[in-house]
Amino acid sequence: MANKIIQWIDRRFPLTSFVKHELTGYPTPRNLSYWWNFGFLAGIVLTLQVVTGIFLAMHYKPDASVAFDSIQHIMRDVNYGWLLRFMHSTGASAFFLVIYIHMARTLYYGSYRAPRELMWWTGQGLLLLLMATAFMGYLLPWGQMSFWGATVITNLFRATPFIGDQVVVWLRGDYAVGDDTLTRFFALHYLFPFLIIAGVVVHLVALHTVRSSNPSGIDLADKDNIPFHPYFTSKDFFGLGVFLIAYFTVVFFFPHSMIEAENNIPANPMVTPNHIVPEWYFLPFYAILRSVPNMVGGVAAMFLSVMIFAFMPFLDRSRIPGGARYRPVYRVLFFIFMLDILVLGYVGYYPPTSQTIAIGQVATFYYFGSFLLLPFISKAEDQWLFKKGLPPNIIALIESEAIEKRILPQRRRRGDIT
Amino acid sequence: MAESDALDDTGRREFLVKVTSVVGGAGAAAACLPFVASMNPSADLLAKANTEVDLSGIPEGGMHTVAWQGKPVFVLHRSEEQIKAMNLSNGGLDPEPDKQRVKQPEWLVVIGVCTHMGCVPNKEGPGWTCHCHGSQYDDSGRILRGPAPKNLEVPPYRFVAANKIIIGQA
Amino acid sequence: MNKFIAVLVLHCFISPAWAEEAKLEKIQVDTSVLAVERGVDTFMNACHGCHSLKYVHYRDLAGFGVNKDKISAWRGDSTLDAAMTSLMSDDAAMQSFGKIPPDLSMMTKAREGGNSYLYSYLIGYYLTPEGMTSNHVFPETKMPDALGMSGATDPAQRSEVQAKAHDIVSFLSWAADPHEAERLTLGYYVIGYLIILTLLLYNVMLAVWSKIK
Repeated sequence: MANKIIQWIDRRFPLTSFVKHELTGYPTPRNLSYWWNFGFLAGIVLTLQVVTGIFLAMHYKPDASVAFDSIQHIMRDVNYGWLLRFMHSTGASAFFLVIYIHMARTLYYGSYRAPRELMWWTGQGLLLLLMATAFMGYLLPWGQMSFWGATVITNLFRATPFIGDQVVVWLRGDYAVGDDTLTRFFALHYLFPFLIIAGVVVHLVALHTVRSSNPSGIDLADKDNIPFHPYFTSKDFFGLGVFLIAYFTVVFFFPHSMIEAENNIPANPMVTPNHIVPEWYFLPFYAILRSVPNMVGGVAAMFLSVMIFAFMPFLDRSRIPGGARYRPVYRVLFFIFMLDILVLGYVGYYPPTSQTIAIGQVATFYYFGSFLLLPFISKAEDQWLFKKGLPPNIIALIESEAIEKRILPQRRRRGDIT
Repeated sequence: MAESDALDDTGRREFLVKVTSVVGGAGAAAACLPFVASMNPSADLLAKANTEVDLSGIPEGGMHTVAWQGKPVFVLHRSEEQIKAMNLSNGGLDPEPDKQRVKQPEWLVVIGVCTHMGCVPNKEGPGWTCHCHGSQYDDSGRILRGPAPKNLEVPPYRFVAANKIIIGQA
Repeated sequence: MNKFIAVLVLHCFISPAWAEEAKLEKIQVDTSVLAVERGVDTFMNACHGCHSLKYVHYRDLAGFGVNKDKISAWRGDSTLDAAMTSLMSDDAAMQSFGKIPPDLSMMTKAREGGNSYLYSYLIGYYLTPEGMTSNHVFPETKMPDALGMSGATDPAQRSEVQAKAHDIVSFLSWAADPHEAERLTLGYYVIGYLIILTLLLYNVMLAVWSKIK
């Protein structure tokens, strides 16, 4: 019966060949580590956020006079409303955590390099959409932190040349963040996830064209590829289990750690809280904003700090395959860069003092410096490594893969393999 | 030797996959429950599930319409003649003695929703007429004529005092 | 790399260290029905005159298992479905205090330090040498010392006030998060299930990968 249905569909739609091409037959490098689980996890978190979000939207009211009340209604009266809301608020942080690890893996293993530049750039676009979605969603509970966060961030657009003030008013639909801002943020917060889904489709089509990278950084020959299913489906599902344990531990036992105390106070346009902090996932960028003493300069630096990742395929001049695995200097750079982001996050979290401002400025300087110096450093590292001689195991690997790729077409022509 | 090992492996693997699919599927199904439940009426609506009606303000022959769970409920104060008239017959299309439809004969409490398509019938002369499709009910809320198949429904209610009822609690 | 994640995760949970005004007395709230019941009692006498609980309804107390007769006594003429709003009008509040006393529905979640903050604040009243009442935790407060901590001199009196404050905080902690008990119970089941499922998935993975190793 099932076979007949599938046959019926196959005559009209390439179902079987699609599944075979993208899943059961899709060749995947066998040496992928657990760091390659995070793309799949990002897809899962996206799904969780969309589903919980749709059910929350059935009870939420995007009207400034009742928005805070409707959140309380969800938390107290709606059946399992507290679960939906905590899953959604925790899911936002989980999403960024997963995406940041996914990005860090790409940087560490050099997965952004040719031929995967388009994957890196679509990923960059997805990151921007995710940030915009998270930022607009944060306004919806209409608490103090929601209101003042939205006020500060929309004010960033004052740095737009010539028409800054008009742009800010246009974004808000009002002279201050108000009811109109809330309603449009809700509309867009509901829309953007679908743009993200569309972006993910593009990201995946690109992935299935260029195939997964792998820790060695060398494109592997057929003998070292295995079908995605069942090998990586089983691995991805195991990773999902571990992820869900961590995620639901926060949802059930520490959900309030994901909600700022100030956000349990209804928005009050007349009183600013003593200490406004963005959510943890924006802290490093926020620190960069504050480190530049000039308003326009600060905003420009912050936007650049996100966008600069897009230049990585051009900045890395090394001829050695992959990322940090066979390149000691790049590896050191990577870890110092990670440390630098943590320092920036720390600085962004604390109120500005002369000390934290100084630390923030050094960290900001290092942040951009590591990008700007990368072309020279990677070139120098490349020459040094070639002069010194590459490690024998990578030379052996490159050669064996090259041979494999050369013989394979001959064997296929002879009919040894199909 | 090697072959039987391989076979054992396959069997074990298939068994593991089956068990895991069942456990995972059960979890996924259970995970749907909160989402489904969230679409049911919330606690604040359930708290409004009962409506208190003070009968002292309704004159003989008069009717009040009160809201109960968002639906209109007719509370009709019937006169002696009306009660007598209703006891003479068992209604029309859906026969039922008047005594079974009331707790005290002078008070008729029925849900004012036509059993045909859910319109609210109008009080016209003796009984009610539904203007959507022309169904006619008598002073006991029983269907006499028209497309409606059933008598007007009697909600659960009880007298908490001589002239006070709570609709929603039997 | 592992360290990076550990630090990042830790970072999300660290509460701000700059809130170092006064040292807070760390407390563990009592989530039992009896403690909450005592808390409502004290709350109705000492706080409800000025402070509302507009997101808490009398029916919520009944649902939690608080004694029905006590609820009837507290609610007076209001219905069981009514919110626990205070009797003081905003105008009257402005006249007496110069500001409207905040709604307390979310108070234990709306301050850094949560329950401990609120408890320390309630027992933080003292008499200044000039004979005025002030508060260690929140010196600018406009609220009078409703529990009488500043006037309590002997230890028995003081511990009585502390017990009252503790009950009030227990009640308000429940009021801000009424589904907490249900959440924790469900949480243990969900995590237990997920651990079993993950172990199974781990074994499936090993079994699948054993084909090529």
